[in-house]
Formats: sequence, C-alpha cells, structure tokens
Amino acid sequence: MADAVLDIGVNVGAKPVAVHARRKHGPARWLVLALLVAAMAFTLFPFLLALINGIKSSIDYAANGPLSIPTSIDFSAIAKFWGISDFTLKLVNSVLISGAVAVFGTTISLLNAYAIGVGKVRGSRVILVVLLLGLMIPQESIVYPLYFMAKSSGLYDTQLSVIIIFSVLQSAFGTYLLSSVLGSFPREILEAAEIDGATRWQVLWYVLVPVLRPTLMVIATFFFIWTWNEFLIPLVFLVSNSHQTVSVAMGLTRGQNLADPVLQAAASLMGITPTVIFFLIFQRTLTRGVVVGAVK
Amino acid sequence: MAAAAQASYARHQRGYYLYLLPGAIGFLLIVLIPQIANFVLSFTAWKGVGTPRWIGTQNYERLIGDDQFWGSMIHTLLFIISMTIIPVLIGLVLAALLFDYIRDQFGERLSSFFRAGFYLPQILPVTTAGVLWGWILNPVGVANIILKAIGLGALAQNWVGDATYALPAVSLMIVWIQVGYCLVVFMAGLSRIDPALYEAAQLDGAGWWQRLFAITVPMLAPEIFVVVLTTMIAALKVFAPVFVLTAGGPDNATLVPSYLTYYHFFTTQRVGYAAAIAVVQMVLTVVLATIFLRFQARQQATE
Amino acid sequence: MTSLSKLALVAAASLTMLSSAAMAQQKTFNIWWFEDPTSSEGIAWTKALDEFKAKHPDVTVNFQQKTFQQLQAAGSMILNSDQAPDVLEYNKGNATAGLVASQGLLTNLDDYVTKEGWDKILNSGDLVLSKYDDKGIYGSGHVWGISVYGEYVSCFYNIDMFNKAGLKVPTTIDEWVADMDAFKKQGITPLALGAIDTSGQHLLASLAYTKADDTWVQNYQGLKAPLDGAPYLYAAQTLTDWVSKGYISKDSTGMKDPDAAQLFMSGKAPMYVSGTWNLGTFASTIKDFKWGQFVIPTPKYSVGSTGNLWVVPKGSKNADLAAEWISLTLSPKYQTELANDGGVAIAADPSTITNDVGKNAAAVFKQISDKNGLGFYPDWPVPGYYDVLNQKDTGLFQGTLTPQQFVDQIKKVYDDAQASQ
Repeated sequence: MADAVLDIGVNVGAKPVAVHARRKHGPARWLVLALLVAAMAFTLFPFLLALINGIKSSIDYAANGPLSIPTSIDFSAIAKFWGISDFTLKLVNSVLISGAVAVFGTTISLLNAYAIGVGKVRGSRVILVVLLLGLMIPQESIVYPLYFMAKSSGLYDTQLSVIIIFSVLQSAFGTYLLSSVLGSFPREILEAAEIDGATRWQVLWYVLVPVLRPTLMVIATFFFIWTWNEFLIPLVFLVSNSHQTVSVAMGLTRGQNLADPVLQAAASLMGITPTVIFFLIFQRTLTRGVVVGAVK
Repeated sequence: MAAAAQASYARHQRGYYLYLLPGAIGFLLIVLIPQIANFVLSFTAWKGVGTPRWIGTQNYERLIGDDQFWGSMIHTLLFIISMTIIPVLIGLVLAALLFDYIRDQFGERLSSFFRAGFYLPQILPVTTAGVLWGWILNPVGVANIILKAIGLGALAQNWVGDATYALPAVSLMIVWIQVGYCLVVFMAGLSRIDPALYEAAQLDGAGWWQRLFAITVPMLAPEIFVVVLTTMIAALKVFAPVFVLTAGGPDNATLVPSYLTYYHFFTTQRVGYAAAIAVVQMVLTVVLATIFLRFQARQQATE
Repeated sequence: MTSLSKLALVAAASLTMLSSAAMAQQKTFNIWWFEDPTSSEGIAWTKALDEFKAKHPDVTVNFQQKTFQQLQAAGSMILNSDQAPDVLEYNKGNATAGLVASQGLLTNLDDYVTKEGWDKILNSGDLVLSKYDDKGIYGSGHVWGISVYGEYVSCFYNIDMFNKAGLKVPTTIDEWVADMDAFKKQGITPLALGAIDTSGQHLLASLAYTKADDTWVQNYQGLKAPLDGAPYLYAAQTLTDWVSKGYISKDSTGMKDPDAAQLFMSGKAPMYVSGTWNLGTFASTIKDFKWGQFVIPTPKYSVGSTGNLWVVPKGSKNADLAAEWISLTLSPKYQTELANDGGVAIAADPSTITNDVGKNAAAVFKQISDKNGLGFYPDWPVPGYYDVLNQKDTGLFQGTLTPQQFVDQIKKVYDDAQASQ
C-alpha cells in the first residue's frame, strides 16, 4: 500500500513509466541502514563539535576544552558575534550576492550552453575549452588585475563587482554541465518545435527551460552555496563593513595573535544556517525527478 | 536548392552566436584580460603597489630551482586522489545505494535525508571546517581519544604535526568535504535513468553490484566526466584546507601551489614571482584538463 | 520686498545652506581599528571615541570594526584606493607599515609629533617603529605612525601549581630548567606550546636573545648582514634538548596557540610562553587558579615591541582631527584607562592604575623599553619569514631537522633576502 503511494510520489512531474514492482524487504536492509547511519554520524560529527562549542561559555571552554559537553548553555558568543559583525546586514549582503550570482551565473551558463550544445556553433569544442579556463584559474592570480580594473571603473568596494566576477567564474562550471546535457538532448523535439515556427528564443524558453528546470536548480544551488563561502575576492573587494558578506565577517573571530574558538564555533553555526535552509528548500525541487530523457 | 538550404542553415547557425555574447564579454573582462595581465606580471618584480619593474625570465629561472615549488606540485597531484578518485568512488556507491536500494526499501524521504546529510560538509566554509577538524585531529583531539578508548591507542598519532601523516590527514578532511558534491550530482543524474531498466535487470537476476556496473555507471557517464574533471581541476587549485589545517606544513609537507601563490601575492608581496607560479600552475591544469577532455570525447564517440 | 531683494535673499539662503552642507560633507571623520571590541584596547578606545564624538558635535564620526585578516591581505590595496579612512590602526614593521609608507600612501606626521607633544610622552625607543625611510626600513626617516600601547612575550605560569610544587619564579635559564625538571618528575609536561604557531617562534627567539647583543639584534632586524646563526643555534639545541627531556611535548607540532593556551587555562600545563595579547582572555576566563607572568631571563632583549600604529592615509582630509584622536589615546586619561582594562599601556602613570594585571604589564613594558630591550619579533626582517620559521620549527620539534640543519635552512632564506635588497 505504502509502496503504491510512494511510486506515484516518485514519478510526479515525469511522464508515468512502468509501475515499480515491489522489492523484497530482506533483513540485509537493516545492516545497510546501520552502515549508512554510521557514515552519517561520522559526516555530521564536526557539526556537533561546532554546536557544543558555540553555546559554551568561554570560561567553560578554558577549563574543559573543546570536547566537553557544555556545563550550561551560554548564548553570549552567538550574541557577541551577531553584535560585532552586524550579522543581520551581513546575512542580507550574502543572500543578495549569492542569490544574484545564482541567477546571473545560471543564466549566462544557459545562454552559452544553448549556443554550444543545441546550436552547435562552429568551434564549439574550442569555445567550451576556452570557457573552461574560467574554472581553471587560481583566484589569487586575478585579484590584482581585477582590483585595478574595479578601481578605474569606480566599482571598487561595491557588491556589483563581486557579483559580476563570480557570475562569470561560476558560469564556467554551469556552461560545461549544461552543454553536455543539452548536447544529448533529443533533436526530434527541437526540430518539431522549429517546424512549428518557433524562434530560437522561444525554443529555449518554452521547450528547453521547463525540461531543464531540475538541472538549472542544481546549478543555481551550487552557485549559491559556492559563492556564499567565497572569501578571498570578497575580502579584497568589499572594503566597507556595510557591503561585506558573512564569510568576510568570519575574520572577526581571529585577531592578529589570538583566535577565539568559542566565537569561531558560534560564528560557524550562524554562518551555515542560511545555506542549510536554502539547500533544504531546494532539495525538494531536486526530488521532483523530472527527467531529461523520459519525455516521450 | 541544396545551396539555399545550406545557406539558410549557416545563417541559422550564426544566430546562435548571439547567445554567446554575455558569456563572451564576461570571459573577456574577468578571465582573459586578468590572465594576460598575470602573465605579463610574471616577468616583473612588483610589490603590489607602485610600478612593476621588468626583469625578464628571472622569476621562472628562480622557480626551476625552488624545491618548495616542485614539492608543492607533487603534493597537489597527490591531492587528486583525495579530491577526485576517492570521493567519486564513494559518491557512486552512495548514490546507487540511496537511489537504487534505500529508496525502495525505506522510501524517498529517508533517501533525501541521507543525501542532505552527506552534502552538509559542502555548505560549511572551509575555514570553519578547518577549525572543527583541528579539534578532531590535534594530538589531544577526538581522533586520538576514540582510538585510545577502543584500545587502538598505539595508532594514535600527531596527525597534523607529523610530516608522515599530515597529507593523509588533510586528505581525510578533503574527502569528507567532497563526497557530498559527487553524491548530489550523481543522484540528480540518476533521476534521468528509466527505472524500468533496473526492474528488468533485477528480474533477470542481476544483483545490486551488477546493476551498479552494468547500468548505473555507464548511464551516469556524462555526470562522472563532469565530476572527475571539476574535482581534478579543484585538486590542482586546492588552497583552503591546507591553509587552515597545516599552513602548508609540517616543514612544507603539505605545501601546494595555490598556497605558495597566496603566500607570495599577499604575504611576501613578491607579486611577480607569485604570478610566475600561477602561470605554471595554470599551464599544468590546462594540459591535464585537455588530456582528460580528449579522453572523454573519445569515450563518448564510441558510444 | 522687491523681486530683486527676494532673489538676493533666496540666493543668500541657498549659499549658506550649500556651504554648510558642503562643510557638513567635509566633516565626516572615518576611523578604523581591528582590535577585538572586548579587548583592553577595544574597550579603552571605544570610550575615547565617545569623548571624541562629544567634543566634535559638528562632525559625523564613522567607526568601522575591521578584521586583521582583511587589512593583512588587502591593506596596501585599500590604502591605495578612495576607500581609505581618515585614521586607522595598521600593523607595524617593514613589511606592512614600511611598505605603504615607502609607496607614499601615508601622511607624514613629523609636524604633529612636535605640535601635539608626542615626543614628550614617548621616548626614542617608543618611536623606533614609527619611522620608516624611503625604502620602507624602520628606524629612521619621517614619522608615519604612532603606537599607543605595547606588547611583549613572557612566560605565563600557574601560581598555584608552582606553590604546590614548592617552586620559585626563575631568574636565570638554569633555574627555569630546574623548575621544568621538577614538574617533569611529577609526570607533568611543564611547557605548553603551539609549535606550528606563534608561540613556537617566540620561545625560539626568546632563547636566541639570551645570546644576543646589541649588534646582533640591530643587524638581524635591520637586515644589515648575513645571518649570524650562533644565537639561533643555541636556541635550537636547547629546544631539541627540552623536547628530548619531555619539557615540551613532541605533540606540540600538532597544536596551534589556542590549543596550547587551553592546556594552560585548564590547569593541565603549568607554563605557557606567549604574548600580552593573552592577558584579556586569561583575566576573564581563568577562574580556577591564580596565574601570573615572568619575564624570560635574558641579558637585555625580550621579544616584544610597541603596538600597532595609528596611521593617517595620504588622502585623509582630516589630518588635524586624526592627530587629535592620536593625542587622545595617548593622553594620561586613556593610557590609564587602557591599563585599567588590562592592557599594556605605553605611557601610563603607575600610581593611577588600579588593575593589577594592567599595572604589572605597564611596569614590565616600561622596564624593557627603557633599556631599549625591545627585540621585536623574529619574523620581521624578511617578508614571509613567519611561514619559513613555522615550517622549520615543526621540523626541529619533530626531530626531522637537526639544530644545525634548522639554522642552515633559515639562514639561507634570510641571506637571500639580505643580498637582494
């Protein structure tokens, strides 16, 4: 019974395919589950460390170290970091920048991939490799040139500069992924649309984008998370505190000679919460399982 | 007739070039021009402020004799194991496990829950991950405490402070971070595969491992290629995990080119030298990536 | 009123408004520092800023809490742009303040020194790191920045543990070794150390300074001659000896300073060699035992220096206000304030200090500074030497480098830099 409901749930959004035959529920499944739970515990353990130290008092940490359970719950580190970093503002900035990069980066990737994967323009292979260069460059090597370009165009210390930089850099990955997906897209559908008189633009927006939505969401999610955690370029380009992102503000936990571990733990908890929420929201779209190939 | 069709096809093709315009402008401004600038800088001596001084190939000559540099190259290649090979393998098995087994046996929700959990390390900023793993890997940290508790105290080591174990220790954190990325990409790709294939195979008597090799891996080929290429490139650029855990040590045992360039760009302010290292690093990456892309093209052509 | 008069009135009114708007626009004062807000400097300066704001109600005073990380990586880039403030805290030394001074990014403060009387408050030793020549080398040239606090490295010790073991504060290295030996015999590792971090380097340098004379220190810090490795050889040999005797754990190469500090704060290790930047944390979080610090016994030099500098970027339109700010933080009122918040005041009147920690710190600093015994830090001469010393330290502590190899390797890097000046 439950399986039948699950089958329908799994196939929502996709054209229905063969109904799942019921798998036998062997005892082996509990062993596999146990192993997976153990693997998860290992994976999540460092987060636990962040949690128990973020809500610890400094005195407790001094006396008992990072591996002890807090003797009492103390939110002062969280409160302190929130205050000195003006965390609400930093959150807004990070969401703004990461969100903008997710949108613009995905759009650029889509446009590029359309030309390369579907349009198959002359020199596609070469163009793809060249665009991939964007993925290969070590960021340290472009900081100084970009700094001078930003200064002379008046974009230094603006969020726009960071958005532009990351949209371009991230689009290298998006282009690569999307063009390989689009390259194997069934031609019949595209030709059918063209015969119906659709322009290139209409084919892109009305035929391809709906089908590509899950892949586009995956790419946008990646871009959001990767941009959120970037720190070198924001550190150099976002001078004013009011423009800075969460990752730059993390520098407040480490001074010239001292690091405050409790503050670091608290800051990390605060820093990852929005991205976790973002990921959980978009994970739902990922499970809607629309398939590129099964559009018969 | 044929000529007209060809001409219109050519015109049709040209129209697609327009779609490349935004990407091309962005590439020019953000990638090409800075890279050329970096290349030019590699022939100068410069402190980041003031005017660069032309010194010809001196930086490159210095590079050739720099043991640290060669060591860093070797280390970054070694990191391909922990950034690419191991996470891809684990990612494939986990993806197949979650998609092909857990989903049937326990349902979609649990499968998604596991996927989210394994992906979580990707969400953490690496600097924070470094602090947390520092607590695990330091001599009085969790790793050694657990080893002692289960009686394997003899295996307890100075994980980040001993040159023999530092690279593997950093690699462990890197695997922890990377598996989630591979897993999510693979699972997104798996949703592409017609479940009927698995049904048919199962009815034919194929076990789970056989299904993995006969169906999952070949069908996921595009995703596998993407993940291998991107993680390989990331391995050659790896910086943050080394920066936070070992600072390139002990005694340069975990030094990587990106750390060396950061050091010279921002600490010693030997910008010209750093630019030269970055150029060599870039060339190496391009060479390896091209080899890989050729391999990928050949594989896909024979399908 | 005739229309002409009305016009004149409107014109006059607009002009007044415009000019006061213009004046209001000019009177924005931007100030940055990166000391933690809960540190002694942070607390004292925040109070000073309140007074400063009250004194200048017509000025919009904008303070930004910066991070050391940002100024270290992008400091010269920020100073080279329009985003630089009117006054900011900047790291002292050739590689940082010296570099930007030599590139013309700072305002020359020579006139203010005499006008504001800073040379009456600070002695010549306190001004050494304020001066940089046109190559960016400290010690001579114009004054580009002013320090208002000090820092030094000492050995923090657990008074209760010492008393319990019947030990006294050492006045010579031999006595220090004897104390460590006594702890070792009880099964306690005496010295906590973050070998891959600053405390490792500072212990190394402190030991080197026991064999260093004036010439050596001046040559070393001034990059004047190839490295005379003898003091470092002694230090390296001593450290290797101490590791083999178990005074320092071999595991210390896996520890960063916070880890080592935590060993001290939890009462597991009786001693920890590090700088006065720990005073605030220790004062607020160590509740279980009494603690103190003793100066590492050297003939003259200690690892330490005057604190970070207040610098005025070249583009600042409010140099006078900046100078006034500097004077305020250097004033007796706020020097005492700093000391009472537990910091190392550079020029406080001891009779006005009520905080024990601050009183002691100011006294020790004054003692070192008066005899010109500030040896600065071991990584200063060569940009990036910090990483080199870290790497080689770990080799030394781990035993993969012999003391001689250690000295040879750090000498190589030093000599390279020295020759290519």
